[in-house]
Amino acid sequence: MRKQMIISISWKNVWRNKKRSLIVICAVLLGTIAGVFTSGIMKGWVQQRIDSVIYTEVSHLKIHNPDYLLNEELAYTVPDQSGIEKYLKSDQNILAFSKRVKIMTMASTSTGSSAIMLNGIQIEDEKAVSKVWKKIVSGGGEYLNNLSKNQIVISDKTAEQLRIKNFKVTSEVIDSLKRLEVPASTIEKLSNIENIRYKTAKLFKNELKTLLSKKENKEYGKQIFNASVHYRLRSKIVFTFNDTNGKLVYQTFRVCGIYKTQNTMFDQMNAFVVKDDIAPLAGFSDNSYHEIAVIAHEEKDIDELKSEIKTQFPELSVLSWKDLAPDAAMMTDFMGIWYAIIMGIILFALAFGIINTMLMAILERVKELGMLMAIGMNKKRVFRMIMYETVFLTLVGAFGGMVIGALLIGFTGHTGLDFSSVSEGLEAIGYSAIIFPEIDPGFFFLVTLLVIGTGILSSIIPARKALKLNPVEAIRTE
Amino acid sequence: MSVIEIKNLVKIYNGSAVQVTAVNGVDLTIEKGEFTAIVGPSGSGKTTLLNMIGGLDSPTSGTIVVDKTDLSTLNKRQLVDYRLNNIGFVFQAYNLIPVLTAKENVSFIMEMQGAKKDAITQRTKEILESVGLGDRLNSRPNQLSGGQQQRVAVARALASKPKFVIADEPTANLDSKSTENLLDIMEELNKKENTTFIFSTHDQRVVNKARRVIVLEDGKIVKDERRG
Ligand SMILES: Nc1ncnc2c1ncn2[C@@H]1O[C@H](COP(=O)(O)OP(=O)(O)OP(=O)(O)O)[C@@H](O)[C@H]1O
Ligand SMILES: [Mg+2]
Repeated sequence: MRKQMIISISWKNVWRNKKRSLIVICAVLLGTIAGVFTSGIMKGWVQQRIDSVIYTEVSHLKIHNPDYLLNEELAYTVPDQSGIEKYLKSDQNILAFSKRVKIMTMASTSTGSSAIMLNGIQIEDEKAVSKVWKKIVSGGGEYLNNLSKNQIVISDKTAEQLRIKNFKVTSEVIDSLKRLEVPASTIEKLSNIENIRYKTAKLFKNELKTLLSKKENKEYGKQIFNASVHYRLRSKIVFTFNDTNGKLVYQTFRVCGIYKTQNTMFDQMNAFVVKDDIAPLAGFSDNSYHEIAVIAHEEKDIDELKSEIKTQFPELSVLSWKDLAPDAAMMTDFMGIWYAIIMGIILFALAFGIINTMLMAILERVKELGMLMAIGMNKKRVFRMIMYETVFLTLVGAFGGMVIGALLIGFTGHTGLDFSSVSEGLEAIGYSAIIFPEIDPGFFFLVTLLVIGTGILSSIIPARKALKLNPVEAIRTE
Repeated sequence: MSVIEIKNLVKIYNGSAVQVTAVNGVDLTIEKGEFTAIVGPSGSGKTTLLNMIGGLDSPTSGTIVVDKTDLSTLNKRQLVDYRLNNIGFVFQAYNLIPVLTAKENVSFIMEMQGAKKDAITQRTKEILESVGLGDRLNSRPNQLSGGQQQRVAVARALASKPKFVIADEPTANLDSKSTENLLDIMEELNKKENTTFIFSTHDQRVVNKARRVIVLEDGKIVKDERRG
């Protein structure tokens, strides 16, 4: 028999009881949307974390003197520099690498102090490896350049700790708030504190609390707060540290830029200066450094690359991003489990609904099925007819769900989903507050296969029920 | 030439309380091209007999040989194919697939038999014209009257030119006019295509159309007469 005939009957049977079918289809649709979308959020979230880990925090590979890892002392610089550099330059798989002098310092301003890791870098090399230069906040100046000496890029968090981040309602702030459609009556109240500098976020927040009504604060507080941020660029920070001889030395840097990544912990720790501004002071010759950060062309080659370098340079420590950020590496594995759990739940629920609906359909069609078997439709065909119907019923909803889910991901992947109400907690552990959902096409392929599989499996129970029918009894008319 | 040879056919139902002998030693031969009515009071075993001849039910004892094939030698799966390829069925109701058009319903068996597309199209049209539904090819069952639906069922039963057609009370749900009409069509096709028909009925007017009438009582043939 022509397969199309059975397929066509099955398809038409789906729509015999439109209302019932539509209810199941809607359930499948919503389930699939939920599954696809949550998976998209999860994937985007993890991917952003991994991108951030690799491209701002740890890079693909880090090469150190093994002793440096045990004890971050100045003396433990990377040995055999020319050898490893030559190797890194010639390896096809390596996109870029950056050499860093790393010095643990105490940073102080007239109003605050903080322990900071100074990263002495070469600007162009560093830009090729780390995206910190792209993370300069608005109003936060710019990244390092070679034009003037002794400049420094610090994080927003450090700026806060060193009281370089202030709050001030200037006429520009008022203009920008007007553009954000904050009501004139609220802005009017702000004119009382125009040009007054608040040294900490807490002070400014308290001032806003007394100045504005609760409602105004709730609605516009955040906008006003963000608009009023004022970084005191060109501020001087004094860094104190022990040089290679153990002598205490000082160096003053001027803030040229403020960066902010999605990892507060990283931000709190790291500041960036030009290597030549710091290395001589620490007592290093021209070409000493503590760390090489490497970015490869392909993420998948990392493990191979790591072991290659290790065998070539046994005296060096080589760590991949998976070693350095095991939590992020674990998230990739966790993703797989997450997909499995989400899909498992959805498919299970889906199977329930489908089986139930199909059993009802079979019950309604006892006489018709009996007739079909009586006139010579064999079990294989009856089974197929029911299986196709079940699969269609499943696929219509799942397909719609995947399309809508994909559109949702496409849309939110563009605009981003703002989770900033819980963002502080997220950023503290290195996860962005704004998530850009994403999903790879392979996922849809997998979901389609799984849904079809579920449809086929779900058809077994109703189909068996149908096959158990005795045609003589089924067609007996009372 | 005999199409069906039945010898000493017995069917006993073992109910929970009582044993019912629905067919009790039937001997019967059906010749090619016969137009046979099986009549008898309710419970006399007409349906049981027809189901066994149609390979839908198995006898307790006795044999049914159709064209040299002893049905008892076929297993369940073989019986399905046997029915498909040799027997046309018309039931009292629920004959058609509701989601298919008249044309598709009639093609259905030929499709299952794997006939050629062109042949199917041609035969479907021809047979539907024969039952007077040449203009309703694309109507669905729920767009047709009860009589028209039964005519589609007859067309389907005959479309694949089976060895014989079994119709268990095909007119039971029809009014007198439709009943007469259906019987006329069956008779005409019986003559035109030399199709062997065996049908059961309660309706005297239907009986009158038959050329052979077999009367059953308590599972036994009490009368078997040929007319005209
Ligand atoms: N599955 C069954 N189990 C038990 N008894 C049955 C079964 N099928 C039929 N019978 C009994 O067998 C006898 C013959 O029934 P059958 O249906 O063949 O009669 P019939 O002549 O077709 O009657 P009607 O004119 O009412 O259709 C009846 O007594 C009936 O109750
Ligand atoms: Mg009966």
